Amino acid sequence: MAYRVAIDIGGAFTDLFAIDNEGNTFWSKVLTTPHDLIEGVLEVFKNSKIDPQKTSQILHGQTLVINAIIQRKGAKVGLITTKGFKDLLIIQRANRRDIFNLKYKKPEPLIPRYRIWEVDERTDAEGRIIRHVKKEDVKAICDNIIREGVDSVAICFINSYVNAYNEKEIKNILQEVINGTKIKISISSEITKQWGEYERTSTVVLNAIVMPLMSNYISRLKYMMNELGFSGSFLMMLSNGGVAKLDYVEHVPIATIESGPVAGVIAGVELAKLLDEKNVIVLDGGSTTTKASLIENLKIRTTTNYSIERSEFFPGYPVKVPVVDIVEIGNGGGSIAWIDEVGSLRVGPVSAGADPGPACYNRGGDKPTLTDAYLILGYLNPNYFLGGKIKLNAELSRNVTKYIADFYNVSIEEAALAIVKIANDNAAQLLRLISVQRGFDPRDFTLIAHGGSGPMLSAFIAEELEIPKILIPFIPPGNFSAWGLLMSDLRYDFSKTNIKRFDEKDIIDTINKGYQELLSEAKQLYMDETNIDFDYSMDLRYYGQEHTVRVEVMKENIDDDELLQIEKRFKDRHLKEYGFNLDSPIELVNLNMTLIIKSNKPQIKPVIKNGNLDKAIKEQRNVYWGKDFYLTNIYQRESIPSLKEIEGPAIIEEPTTTILIREEYKGYVDKFGNFVIKRK
Amino acid sequence: MIDDFTLDIIENSLIAAAEESFISFGRTSKSPVIYEVLDYAAGITDYKGRLVAQANGVPGFLGTLDLAVQECIKKIGEDRIYPNDIYIINVPYTSGTHLNDVTLVMPIFVEKTLVGFSSIKGHWSEVGGMHFGSWTSDSTEIYQEGLIFPGIKLFERGKPNKALIELIKANVRTPDMTMGDMEAHAAALRVASRRVVELCKKYGVNAILDSIERLMSKGEKLIRLKLKELPHGTFYAEDMIDDDGISDNPIDVKAKIEISDDKFVVDLTESGDQAKGSINSPLCATISAARTIFKAITDPHGPANDGNFRVMDVKARPGSIFNPLPPAPTSTYWESMAFVTDLVWKALAPYIPDKLSAGHFLSVCATIVGGIDDRNKLPFAIVEPQPGGWGGALGKDGESALVCSGDGETYIMSNEVIEVRYPIIVDQYTLNINDGCGKGEYRGGFGIVKDYRINNSNAIFTASFGRSKYPCWGMDSGSNGTPNYFIIYQKGKEPLKARKVAAFPLSKGDLIRIVTGGGGGYGNPYKRDPERVLSDVIDGYISKEQALKDYGVVITNDLKVDYEQTKKIREKLLNGI
Repeated sequence: MAYRVAIDIGGAFTDLFAIDNEGNTFWSKVLTTPHDLIEGVLEVFKNSKIDPQKTSQILHGQTLVINAIIQRKGAKVGLITTKGFKDLLIIQRANRRDIFNLKYKKPEPLIPRYRIWEVDERTDAEGRIIRHVKKEDVKAICDNIIREGVDSVAICFINSYVNAYNEKEIKNILQEVINGTKIKISISSEITKQWGEYERTSTVVLNAIVMPLMSNYISRLKYMMNELGFSGSFLMMLSNGGVAKLDYVEHVPIATIESGPVAGVIAGVELAKLLDEKNVIVLDGGSTTTKASLIENLKIRTTTNYSIERSEFFPGYPVKVPVVDIVEIGNGGGSIAWIDEVGSLRVGPVSAGADPGPACYNRGGDKPTLTDAYLILGYLNPNYFLGGKIKLNAELSRNVTKYIADFYNVSIEEAALAIVKIANDNAAQLLRLISVQRGFDPRDFTLIAHGGSGPMLSAFIAEELEIPKILIPFIPPGNFSAWGLLMSDLRYDFSKTNIKRFDEKDIIDTINKGYQELLSEAKQLYMDETNIDFDYSMDLRYYGQEHTVRVEVMKENIDDDELLQIEKRFKDRHLKEYGFNLDSPIELVNLNMTLIIKSNKPQIKPVIKNGNLDKAIKEQRNVYWGKDFYLTNIYQRESIPSLKEIEGPAIIEEPTTTILIREEYKGYVDKFGNFVIKRK
Repeated sequence: MIDDFTLDIIENSLIAAAEESFISFGRTSKSPVIYEVLDYAAGITDYKGRLVAQANGVPGFLGTLDLAVQECIKKIGEDRIYPNDIYIINVPYTSGTHLNDVTLVMPIFVEKTLVGFSSIKGHWSEVGGMHFGSWTSDSTEIYQEGLIFPGIKLFERGKPNKALIELIKANVRTPDMTMGDMEAHAAALRVASRRVVELCKKYGVNAILDSIERLMSKGEKLIRLKLKELPHGTFYAEDMIDDDGISDNPIDVKAKIEISDDKFVVDLTESGDQAKGSINSPLCATISAARTIFKAITDPHGPANDGNFRVMDVKARPGSIFNPLPPAPTSTYWESMAFVTDLVWKALAPYIPDKLSAGHFLSVCATIVGGIDDRNKLPFAIVEPQPGGWGGALGKDGESALVCSGDGETYIMSNEVIEVRYPIIVDQYTLNINDGCGKGEYRGGFGIVKDYRINNSNAIFTASFGRSKYPCWGMDSGSNGTPNYFIIYQKGKEPLKARKVAAFPLSKGDLIRIVTGGGGGYGNPYKRDPERVLSDVIDGYISKEQALKDYGVVITNDLKVDYEQTKKIREKLLNGI
């Protein structure tokens, strides 16, 4: 017997989900141990009773990187830059994101100015080396590095995205000089080959900040698992939607920065594959936020325009690694409803969190939350919240909601319904952002809703956006991410900025040469693998534009015909997204390549459950659907037989979530145990 | 009957529609002034042209969309407004800024009802005129600054006005870029229009109209609440603009601000006459600048609409620098427009130190390097604002290298992008440590030094730098900031230090050094926390000598504060003042 084991560290819990080679599944859960994450990992393993010696593969998702950055607990980093560009981290792009705030504060640089050193070197925009790195200059900097007690060095030179020679050169010299110390070195060209010196510098600095931590974490984790007898392969989740080997992560730890929410998206995609769905929107409803990602044609969309800590009024710190395109709003089950200064009803972004939580938890929460509104309307069962672990008190919910009802002179139920509508509208706007605004019609998509509050939200959002079908996964919300991790493939992204117009005569050569370069860069990662796949794409624009549109490329060796096809795809995409085309030449900006090494995935077996639908009705409850209370059937999910239709309105309860079927909808359990809701 | 909560939802959707349209233009535009500087705004007005929602990249357009729509309604005539029309307008004196800033306006119809207008104002990179890029610092009449679009139909019932389009193409230097901007501009207008129509279909036209009224009256209610929190009374400020754009004569500018429970009046009538050069701020720009500071001190994060500004009154004398008459040139209008914001800022800063800092480098410090690229024989022009130092404020030092208050979510172009796109080599881009910044308990931030080396057989350089003779103000015993200027280095010639230049000829190897000033200081420098002074020494911002001279702080050789000595010296200095 051999096991594949996924271990996902989340904010509250560390989850384990495993599958043996016969398809049997195991799961286990312990509290996350923030002081030393490895403790939780070892404990969850122990808890699961899985034999480490029989474990063939561990897939791991962690929060070490993002926590270290957010808490500013990373390494002491020094930066080496090109002469004349010392202040890039302070100057940034000089934008004022909070435009009407005349006491605006820019992001504080993550390293002080005195630990930034210049080297008199230069590469020009065509990649020619104008000035080489001089050994004696590097030695002088080394003295500073040692004197300041720097434990990680970041290097970014101007134009290294075209030619990384000088960056590699200085790395070699440095390595020689600091040989014997534990000082880590990161160079920008090993992380990204995209242009933009500030963004690349920011990326390499963040990488350097977490490098010693990650290196230490990996070696301790490996050591401890080996002690337990584990000798299989060890993979770690990246932000790009795949997993990677540990030696890669040790080198480029920043590539895992947003891996947390990504596993849920992968799970959604794998579920879509299983059910033959091509286009899905994956919605994750939590207690403080709601996240969503749009998947067209089963392809995960990644972006390199990510910045950590970015918000509406703060630019954050750019990280030029591919990150799955996930959008987020501060609206979840715990979001507080309030009346603003001019009398508009609002929900979120402030959340009651887990403590004190919504008023109905009876833990001292004194403000109305979305969960309270759900309870007042009868959507939630006061005796079956989290499977009955928390008894909800509807009277408390009514008490705290009363002031809203009084303010607008409506009944408490109407006020509660208004809270639900506004919260759902916020979430619907989020989905509009990733669909309609990018030229996708939500009616062509299936909504996969997970997380504690996802299934409930989805009933309203689907109606608002006319989404024809909702899927609530067969995997319980708490395990969905770990399941996604288990289903992940190895995935490495490569990208290179290469500016060239399509009407230049050597364009095909340039593209093919570019892809060859990316392939040779990837070679050592895939040469011993069998089940591999490549995805190619380009970032294109009309000549003169700045922003680009990503277009799929069908093969790495393109010809005139494929070039025409690419042009056509670009024009289609531009028209769809922006509503017009131009009579201008197309310009190539980035060549992208993704290497996918497919993992062996467990076969999901259908589970047909026979039985009588009526027997799954646990009770009837008065539920407020819009105008009045209506006596509604409440079903227990586990007892519902497969493929039997339930007419809305109805409510389905399971231990960790509640599913609503609104009047215009009907639902059933499919052959895998997913709950499917469709319009009547 | 639609309930209050649904109206809330509609309001959010209207604001989202303006934002969608804003994003669309930025993502598709061909001019850096749009996609990097974000020198544009998108909005929705009601059928009378009153502002309902607006999305901004820079604050300075906060009075220009509604006025342009109103002017179009007047010019076109209510009975000639048809579905799918698009109007084009850029007249500075009635509703505009400078000729580069072109506003397109589209009526939104649901069946036969005119619900409102979608409008976008954006900086077109070329509209003709005497120099490449159209705006210039040496014009003396508006006719030298490009084409004037007086509020006419660019599209009628969805059909393009081909004659007009041909005329534009024939009169601009970069027809490809200008037409690209026009297409992107019009497409983005339709985005907002489509969303509003969808909303009308979903909720009914009356619900939308109700919601629009309610949104504006809520905007008014909120601002009245905020107005109560501002200091009441009459406040004054005055300053000087470096020159009139042509001669070396400065222009006096004066503001009187009256704040009461229900009025906020900015009276600029005592300011100087309209200038001979292009620095005149048209009334619409003047109003925008006053609205900007008003928004900043009342409700910087809320959405803006007509209701916000009903309590405001801006007075500017016709024929003055803040309300010029035709044919006054206005192409560098921002030079004086910025002073409207700055005067109100300066007058009120002592009373609301939680919201306002000491003065900042203020000028857009706009530069153009242009010419014909040797590599492909195509015209090129890099048009940019430059970042500079901001003022110190209660509890914080000023920010270094930040775009001025007239700019906003404006990105300074990456040097690597510049080196690919233009025949320019960037030799350095660092903080301007040499000139320093305003000293204070909280010091100003630093400006920048940027060196452009020309890598082309020839090129021209145009620039307009304000606050070069009269640097920005410090407050509460903090010292003033440092000046903005540039230096042109050419082989065999004396370096030329200046603040304004138009189409200056350059050749290969010439170097332009762009230097922006530091912000003003806040509070007495001798009260600055010695540890902050020490950090500044360690970080290389000041020397040990400066620490002693400017701040009265003694730093030892092993980089520690000598508290005893410092205390003695500071006591003497503080008593001596």
